[in-house]
Amino acid sequence: MKIFYLPDLGEGLSEAEIREWYVKEGDTVKVDQSLLSVETAKAIVDVPSPYEGRIEKLHGKAHDIIKTHAPLVEFFSHDKGAIVGNLEESTQPFQEGAVVIGAPVSSIATVKALPAVRALAKQINVDLNTVTPTGPKGQITAEDVKQHGLTGSVLLKQGETLHGTRRTMAVTMTQAHEQVAQMTLMDDVDLGQVASDTDITVLILKAMVAGIQAEPSMNAWFDGKTCQRQLLTEINIGVAMDTSEGLFVPVLKKVNECSVMQLREKINSLKETVRSRTIVPSDMQNATIIFSNFGTISGKYASPMVIPPMVSILGCGRIHEAAVVRSGKVIASRVLPLSVSADHRAVTGGEVARFLAAVKKFLESAA
Amino acid sequence: MPQITLVEAINQALAYEMNADKNVVLLGEDIGKNGGVFRATQGLYDRFGPHRVCDTPLAESMIGGLAVGMAIMGLKPVAEFQFMGFSYPAVDQIINHASRIRNRTRGKMSCPVVFRTPYGCGIHAPEHHSESTEALFAHIPGLRVVIPSSPIRAYGLLLASIRNPDPVIFLEPARLYRYVKQEVPDDGKELPLDTCFTLRQGNDVSLIAWGAMIKETMAASNQLAQEGIEAEVIDVATVKPLDMDTILASVEKTGRCVIIHEAAKTGGIGADISAQIAEQALFSLKAPPVRVCGFDTIVPYARLEKYYLPSEQRIVDAVHHIMEGS
Amino acid sequence: MKIIERFEIPYYQYLNESSQLVDALPAFAKDVQLLQEMHRLMVLTRIFDQKLIALQRTGQLGTYPATRGQEAVFVGIGHAMDKQDIFVPYYRDIGALIQRGVPLTDILRFWGGDERGNCFASNTQNFPYSIPIASQLVYAAGAAAALKYQGKKQAVLCTCGDGATSQGDFYETINVAGIWRLPLVIVICNNRWAISVSREQQTAAKTLAQKAIAGGIAGEQVDGNDIIAVRERIQVALQKARDHQEASVLEMICYRHCDHTTADDASRYEQKEEREKEWLKEPIARLRRYLETIGSWTPSGEEALIAQCTQQVEQAVAEYVQYTDSPPTAMLDSLYDKLPKLYEDQRTLLEHLCHK
Repeated sequence: MKIFYLPDLGEGLSEAEIREWYVKEGDTVKVDQSLLSVETAKAIVDVPSPYEGRIEKLHGKAHDIIKTHAPLVEFFSHDKGAIVGNLEESTQPFQEGAVVIGAPVSSIATVKALPAVRALAKQINVDLNTVTPTGPKGQITAEDVKQHGLTGSVLLKQGETLHGTRRTMAVTMTQAHEQVAQMTLMDDVDLGQVASDTDITVLILKAMVAGIQAEPSMNAWFDGKTCQRQLLTEINIGVAMDTSEGLFVPVLKKVNECSVMQLREKINSLKETVRSRTIVPSDMQNATIIFSNFGTISGKYASPMVIPPMVSILGCGRIHEAAVVRSGKVIASRVLPLSVSADHRAVTGGEVARFLAAVKKFLESAA
Repeated sequence: MPQITLVEAINQALAYEMNADKNVVLLGEDIGKNGGVFRATQGLYDRFGPHRVCDTPLAESMIGGLAVGMAIMGLKPVAEFQFMGFSYPAVDQIINHASRIRNRTRGKMSCPVVFRTPYGCGIHAPEHHSESTEALFAHIPGLRVVIPSSPIRAYGLLLASIRNPDPVIFLEPARLYRYVKQEVPDDGKELPLDTCFTLRQGNDVSLIAWGAMIKETMAASNQLAQEGIEAEVIDVATVKPLDMDTILASVEKTGRCVIIHEAAKTGGIGADISAQIAEQALFSLKAPPVRVCGFDTIVPYARLEKYYLPSEQRIVDAVHHIMEGS
Repeated sequence: MKIIERFEIPYYQYLNESSQLVDALPAFAKDVQLLQEMHRLMVLTRIFDQKLIALQRTGQLGTYPATRGQEAVFVGIGHAMDKQDIFVPYYRDIGALIQRGVPLTDILRFWGGDERGNCFASNTQNFPYSIPIASQLVYAAGAAAALKYQGKKQAVLCTCGDGATSQGDFYETINVAGIWRLPLVIVICNNRWAISVSREQQTAAKTLAQKAIAGGIAGEQVDGNDIIAVRERIQVALQKARDHQEASVLEMICYRHCDHTTADDASRYEQKEEREKEWLKEPIARLRRYLETIGSWTPSGEEALIAQCTQQVEQAVAEYVQYTDSPPTAMLDSLYDKLPKLYEDQRTLLEHLCHK
């Protein structure tokens, strides 16, 4: 393209108005031929063409104001105006609305919450727009969301937070419930042959030892995470004790090595320390199996909870008079209901059954 | 008022400033009698003469050094590299001297130079004429990198760049050179550097782009509007230093952003913007920041060029993707 | 076949290796006080140079490129230039800088790792040191173009080493200096070594001066150990540049009587005998012997001169070691005319480092 720019028409005039074009696009003109008339501040003048050639484009229409040195007429030439390539020209008019320098003023803002918090809200179905933020710079924190979740619930209008043994029980039982694959086997023991002044509790503990000797897999610790089981040679029986303060489980260590008298002494001593809240932590640790004598209160059968890492628990119901069948004859006898639970992740049904059989045999043949 | 193209707006700005300030001097290859291969300097040689519109020998490192020396001595040189791909021999002068002279002399000397060059692909040119390596220059402390996207912004930003006391790399998207026309008043008014321009307002997603990609981004925003998605379009304009205030304000409003650039993805300026958004507006995001970029390849020759460039559809698809479930 | 062009490269020397006059003495050299002044400046340069090396060896200065044996080249440059002429150094030019308003303490500061050593606050006609080889030549051409555009009757003198003449920037500079008729004088300090690469390994061109022919400008060789020749030829070249906008290339032939920098060990590649042989041509002894023959030098005068220069250097060093560092925020304060908003928190971070 060859461009003719509006020349300085004299005396430093900075612009001129196009009055009338004498030529149109496509016309061929000669040098000095008048192209158009323009009006300056001073006069109306005709502008002659500096070139000979064909007019390709007129830059402006009648009454447009053109600045001095601005493009006026474009003459056709082989020039494409690009040394390589192809510059596209749009046929559409340029659509650009109002442009704002910088950011437009806005009062809208999204709620502020870290991605993890947004995910949490989604998970527990909380609408972030209803949550009051307490975090820095107006952020909604995870606590804010949880709080909203909690205060939104209708359950505990006047709940109190648990402490001490009750809290421990809530936590322990939640974990136990989540982890253990519990099975329970029940049976009745005929205590007819056992003298009525026998220390039944100690007898049961000794029966548990017999049961473990018959089926050692009931005296073990199991870790579900690593899938490891440790069979234990010591038999430490945790004895569940119900107190006004809650559930305690003091542990009788090495029951298999203790005499009946020793066991009774130990039980009494532990009971006392529990009652007086002087029990030491070591007396509540390392149980390998648990014994729950809920029968002293009431109830026959139960599905007692196995507490990891132990794999079993023996529950004893209330000793009561019941009809039993001996050698084909129905007679009244003292009956002890037993319920033994085991963690089926570590103990087979056969193992539980053999244990229970051994316990029952020991008790029924004790004289 | 006649409507002019982007390259004509460049010409208009150069003419204005050369007339207003005798220290403005142009240098480059074929810029004098030939008026520049894209006619960016058309008519200026006739009007201002060979001492102010200098045809240089064919040596880009020399063009870089000449401009640095002139600027230090008080002139305001505007040096042209014929294409961005040919600016590389001058990178030594730009990085080692232009960007550092002020710091090196603790402010005693400075380098008010503008290096301008057509950049970007999409003009079906032979190899090497399609570079989009603005990130190289944006990485250098002491430089500014400015990229206009319309005739009005080309005029105002070039004036601001020439008047700025620090070195500016002014990248002109060749694909837009003649694409659109606008009325551009020749009033000498500059537009601010270091500032984004919000071209379209919307509350659903922020589309952040610059250069020729503004064309596809605006087209995408129109398509999205028909689906009921209102996009906010931000023309970054100065890619170094970034105006994060405007970008963050938009992201805090919409919670979603797509950054679009034709430059290759890795190490592109989209990564910097993404990182800054993550650092400063994470709380406002409903979806991760997404980049729609040129592929990490050499820009292909003409036949495959259209696959390289982020298309309107790729932008729309990216918006759909982040609006799902957010 | 006909010969289209021939060229000649002249060689200039006034005092030969034995300090005998071999050419008519230029006018300025008849001024004994002027010669004594140049002698003093060369001695000061050598003593200061030695001190800079010693400071580096004792951990008080960073890496430093010494100028030993090349004093005539740089002192000659500084002495021949007008105050208004623009000086574009590379990095061995302390002999010139000390004559152009740059305090010794600034030189210590720069090599000691402080940008404030580049300010050259008292003289606006010096460009700062340029580390990237030969890059300064192109912007020197730019400065010359600016002077020409501004109609000023000044010239630009830029320096470089022999290695720099292999760089593209060297050729691009002489080319534009020729075609644009720039008031530019390019002085090559050919000290025969570019680190470990000898002059013979640098180029097949028989002289470096003849590269000027490729740019269409004049080139000449000068005995860089003869300060009279150095000063005379530079003065002529500057006049030609100022008055006729004719550029020239002056190849000063001298020898590097030191390592490339304090981090180099020339004994790894340089023959001891070669240096010893070249030392016989060294510039300070050459002028001193001449001054002696014309009765303008005495041993006691020499002693006093050395003492005075030593004291000047010690004073500068004493001042230098007292300087405190700039605050860390100085890194950002001269980056742009006004630090963009984006970097304000980086500046804040640097401020905190100040107080650690």
